[in-house]
Amino acid sequence: MVFLRRLIGGLTALLRRRRQDQDLDEELQGFLDAAIDDKLRAGMTHDEALRAARMELGSVAAVKDHVRDAGWENVIETSWQDLRYAARTLRRSPGFTAAAVLSLALGIGANTAIFSVINTLILRPLPVDRPEQLVEVLSRYPGEPRLSSFSWRHYEHYRDHNQSFLDLVAVLRTRVQIAVTGVDPEIVDGEYVASNFFSALGVRAAIGRVFDARDDQRDAPAIASAVISWSYWTTRLHANPAIVGTTLVINRTPVTIIGVAPREFFGLQVGMTPSLWLPASIEPVIQQPSRLNAMGVGILGRLREGVTIDAAAAEMRVLDRFRIEDLARSRSEAFARDFSIELEPAAAGFAALRDRLDTWLTTLMGIVGVLLLIACINIAGLLLARASARQHEMALRVSLGAGRVRLVRQVLTESLLLSTLGAVLGIGLATAGAQMLVRTMVSGRDFQRVAPRIDIPVQLDLQVLLFTAGVAVAAALIFGTAPAWQALRSAPATSLRAYGAAGNTRSRRVLGNSFVVGQVALSVALLSAAGLFVQHLSNVRNQDLGFERDSLLLVTLDPANSGYAREQLFAPYQRLLERLAQIPSVRAATISGVTPISGAGASRFIKVEGFDEAAEARRFVPLNWIGPGYFETFGTPLLAGRDFTFADKGVAPVAIVNQAMARHYFGESNPIGGRLQLVGQSNSGNTGAPADQVYTIVGVVGDARYLSLHDAPPRTVYLHAFQEPRMGANQFALKTTGPPAAIAADVRRIVREELATIPIARMSTMDDLVDGWVVSERLLATLSSGFGGLGAVLAALGLYGLLSYTVTRRTNEIGIRVALGATPSRILRMILGNAAVLLTVGVLIGLPLVPLTRRAASQVIAGLPDTSITAVIVAAITMLAVASIAACVPARRAARVDPVDALRQE
Amino acid sequence: MADSTPTALVQGTLHMLILKTLALEPMHGYGIGVRLQQISRNAFQVNAGSLFPALRRLERDGLIAGDWQTTENNRRAKYYSLTSQGRATLKREAKDWAKQTAAIALVMSASLEEL
Repeated sequence: MVFLRRLIGGLTALLRRRRQDQDLDEELQGFLDAAIDDKLRAGMTHDEALRAARMELGSVAAVKDHVRDAGWENVIETSWQDLRYAARTLRRSPGFTAAAVLSLALGIGANTAIFSVINTLILRPLPVDRPEQLVEVLSRYPGEPRLSSFSWRHYEHYRDHNQSFLDLVAVLRTRVQIAVTGVDPEIVDGEYVASNFFSALGVRAAIGRVFDARDDQRDAPAIASAVISWSYWTTRLHANPAIVGTTLVINRTPVTIIGVAPREFFGLQVGMTPSLWLPASIEPVIQQPSRLNAMGVGILGRLREGVTIDAAAAEMRVLDRFRIEDLARSRSEAFARDFSIELEPAAAGFAALRDRLDTWLTTLMGIVGVLLLIACINIAGLLLARASARQHEMALRVSLGAGRVRLVRQVLTESLLLSTLGAVLGIGLATAGAQMLVRTMVSGRDFQRVAPRIDIPVQLDLQVLLFTAGVAVAAALIFGTAPAWQALRSAPATSLRAYGAAGNTRSRRVLGNSFVVGQVALSVALLSAAGLFVQHLSNVRNQDLGFERDSLLLVTLDPANSGYAREQLFAPYQRLLERLAQIPSVRAATISGVTPISGAGASRFIKVEGFDEAAEARRFVPLNWIGPGYFETFGTPLLAGRDFTFADKGVAPVAIVNQAMARHYFGESNPIGGRLQLVGQSNSGNTGAPADQVYTIVGVVGDARYLSLHDAPPRTVYLHAFQEPRMGANQFALKTTGPPAAIAADVRRIVREELATIPIARMSTMDDLVDGWVVSERLLATLSSGFGGLGAVLAALGLYGLLSYTVTRRTNEIGIRVALGATPSRILRMILGNAAVLLTVGVLIGLPLVPLTRRAASQVIAGLPDTSITAVIVAAITMLAVASIAACVPARRAARVDPVDALRQE
Repeated sequence: MADSTPTALVQGTLHMLILKTLALEPMHGYGIGVRLQQISRNAFQVNAGSLFPALRRLERDGLIAGDWQTTENNRRAKYYSLTSQGRATLKREAKDWAKQTAAIALVMSASLEEL
């Protein structure tokens, strides 16, 4: 009640300011008159009475001030005054304001951009019911990132036997060809899910219904159903409200649309919105061969009330025996034994993208944090120099009765105004920057392995805006503290007296100097980190890959829905290879199951005749089915024996092994003629060769990297694609004499002529493929260099500001020196010497930060090079060069000081 | 806003004293100051810099109401009077005050023998 009255009273006071002021004036006048009357009655003369009454009342202005201070509304009013005053002050020095706002905008913008990506990817919960209860079930295999290495029957086992979860849902990603009347057939991302998927997550259909038990009948594919995503519905189906009940053709199977998912629901993985969801029960009908029991089912569960994640994990470890026994049967015991299971909170969805990106994002966040810190120190320095220039103004305000608190508030208001301007501009920069960042990050191979298309919708939501506001306030406090401290200490007498040429305290000089030193030190650390990342990038790019990456065109065909059975592809592919080899600029052409760097193909345990191997010493060996001419095309050296030929077709199966393989199994003896077998189930999924097929080694080649750029080349076995019952290779590779892209049109034409029904799924150059692997490294190198450079420029600006101010302050002294005979070059040396000392101290402080930076960075990024002297030297030289340029301008100004003018200034 | 009176007012009592003064009869600003000084036998001299902010606060909180009237000397002055709420507040505060002073007096006059 009292509060409300105060609120209303305050607001009335704000609105009726003038009226209230008049009232108060009149009241005070009344007070004075009454006092005079009293004194007169007591027998004083009129003059005496007037003086005594005035003394009693005190300063009318002060009383009025006190009365105004009595109400809370006064805070608003004085804040508004402060703000207007700050705006006027900033407008009066546009150069300073522009520099400060711009560097803040860059600093805050960079922080906002990185944070908005982190927010979208890591922090923001899924738009589902009570996301905090969700946990992901993940599998770990030694030496590999954690993955969803589960098959559908493993999921069903967990689902049917656990006590910890209210619900367990599963997702199998797929790409399907989709045909709708009125829309061209296209390949889209889809997800097979269990029928409890939507209900367990608490997601209701926007239109129609979601899956229920009806959709789970494996034996009745006639009622095959699909839920389509909002974005597919709106972009492809024109948001047709009557869409429910219509039919889609998916991989030649008719499927009925039963509902549309709500607009905000994008599935369980940020960045990968499927176009449709299908019940897993119809997967074997649509997908041939079925992938339900391949290992790639993502599992997410909702914990029961009161069950901890540790308790659930303990139960899952027991249930996981099912998977391990299953794998032991189908693969091998040694392989299965090493699998373990773990649970991870999944309020933000599946961990796959998060796991791949969070190290980069953390590093970038650190870098932009340091950048913002440099910007803040820089502005603090500028403000401090200005505070000196404004000392007179402050002194005057103190003498006129301004309270210290009010002065500090004034200074902080200015700081806040600056950082608010910077934040507003920074948010603009961040929106553009975050989109660019995300697009670049996910363009890498790493992510194309996760999914073919990733589109992370970075939004500036409330969290991001709050973060930005927080950063802006923190920044304002950081750079506003020093000037505010100065304001707090301005005492009128000393300030007014001290206002003169020598009016500068020692502490202020030390503070200004240490700001520059701090900026230089941080910039050196940032620059050397950038150098480290650049070196890392070049190490990764230029390592020996085991093949030649230039002048290679890769063409992937997709015969899945072409009408060709894989048994029938041998002759057409051989003919196609011959035609492709006839293109004038093609030097060699070949075919393979996987190309180097394109990722995992099949892998198996290998048994080599005459070599007894303990089960736990076995390693997965990547297999690659290739055609003749493969090693010539890729420039991998043939070290012993011979290459495959088309003449091998129909004779005993042959194999070629790489050096790592030969060395492991044959040591110094000759591997040619050695015999090997694949262990485990037959590779029916690949080429249909019998399980006990024996391959004779006919050649040894150099090692090449297949899985990634980052791991050592594994033992590898090459099998002859044309000797197996079914074709296991769809990747054509062409070595060209000119730029590979130039023959793209020829290739398309020839493929169309030879194999009209087989589409080209993908065409790219090997160079692009390799570059795709280093996108994150390149991004980090580029951004850290950019930010490092920016930091150096800011530090240089800080130095410039400090020196200019010093020169201005010392104009008088310099004038005397010149008058006494100092030469301009001597003055120049004096100022530059001053700068050199600051820079040297800064660099010296910065150097110990370099190994610290490296250690911090190597916590999140594996394989960073050791701190290199080169990087540090480059960093130091860059810093010195930029700073020297900045120092020259004020130094030259000092050298040109005219003694007469200088002395007249006093 | 330090008060420099012969005897400094106990912190936070000015409001109560003003309310009490106004409970006797409605009064303008100067009058309140004089009245306080009289009643306290010159112990309390409230200067304008403390008095007027206090009046402003009391008025805002609805404990007193101001009204422009003509004085005995034919001048316009703002006369303050207690509102019903002000009366209630004064009653409550007076009671609290009595309790407190009694307690303080007990403590201050305490000696070992009595314990």
